Amino acid sequence: MSMVALEGLRPWILQRLTAVYLLLYVFYALAYWLFFDTLTYVHWLAWLADDVNQILLSLFYLSMLIHAWVGIRDVLLDYIKPFLIKLLLLFGVALFLIGSGFWLLKILMMVQV
Amino acid sequence: MMQYDSRPKYLNLFKIKLPVTGVISIFHRLTGILLFAFIPVSLYFLQLSVKDAASFQQLSVLMLSPLSRFFILLMLWSLVHHLITGLRFLLIDMEFFLSRQSSRASAWGVVIVEALVMVTVIAGLFL
Repeated sequence: MSMVALEGLRPWILQRLTAVYLLLYVFYALAYWLFFDTLTYVHWLAWLADDVNQILLSLFYLSMLIHAWVGIRDVLLDYIKPFLIKLLLLFGVALFLIGSGFWLLKILMMVQV
Repeated sequence: MMQYDSRPKYLNLFKIKLPVTGVISIFHRLTGILLFAFIPVSLYFLQLSVKDAASFQQLSVLMLSPLSRFFILLMLWSLVHHLITGLRFLLIDMEFFLSRQSSRASAWGVVIVEALVMVTVIAGLFL
């Protein structure tokens, strides 16, 4: 198998693995949300302060950022022809996603019970 | 000389009649772009919900305004459509729904499940 054939395989697999995690996490979060009639600040903060929930939420955002990168990359590669514009847009999307990741870390560090 | 006159000069999107499988697929792409745009919105909401009790209260008030309800509904619909069609694509990777008949049937299945979920979501949020 040539390297060219492998090039599309990695994003393809990443897209599906992250999709499965995102799907499972949505059901996990839904099970929590549906448990409460009205969610109070105290309950919400306690849930976010839980180590397992923090790790699972971080993995959720990490999966989402990877999934969004592959997806938006595919969209840009499909529709944007001029090379320089395509490159700039891809660069902008990458910065946007990395920035979002750091923002999540900052928010998680704010969680104190 | 070859004659190209009968060929269309431009692509008219409104002349294309997509089958249901194509419609849910293009909306998977569209909702994916919307969800991408909603990433910072979700982080902003998360930040408000975490900061302190006052900002948590501020967020729950903010969510009641008609404009934010419209965007929350748009976000939820995007999520629901993207997840259900995505699940169908994963099943197609596992070699389900490969015949034209089962492909069409599963696409209509997606539409029906999506409609039921959205009715439940709207009932749960707004009634």
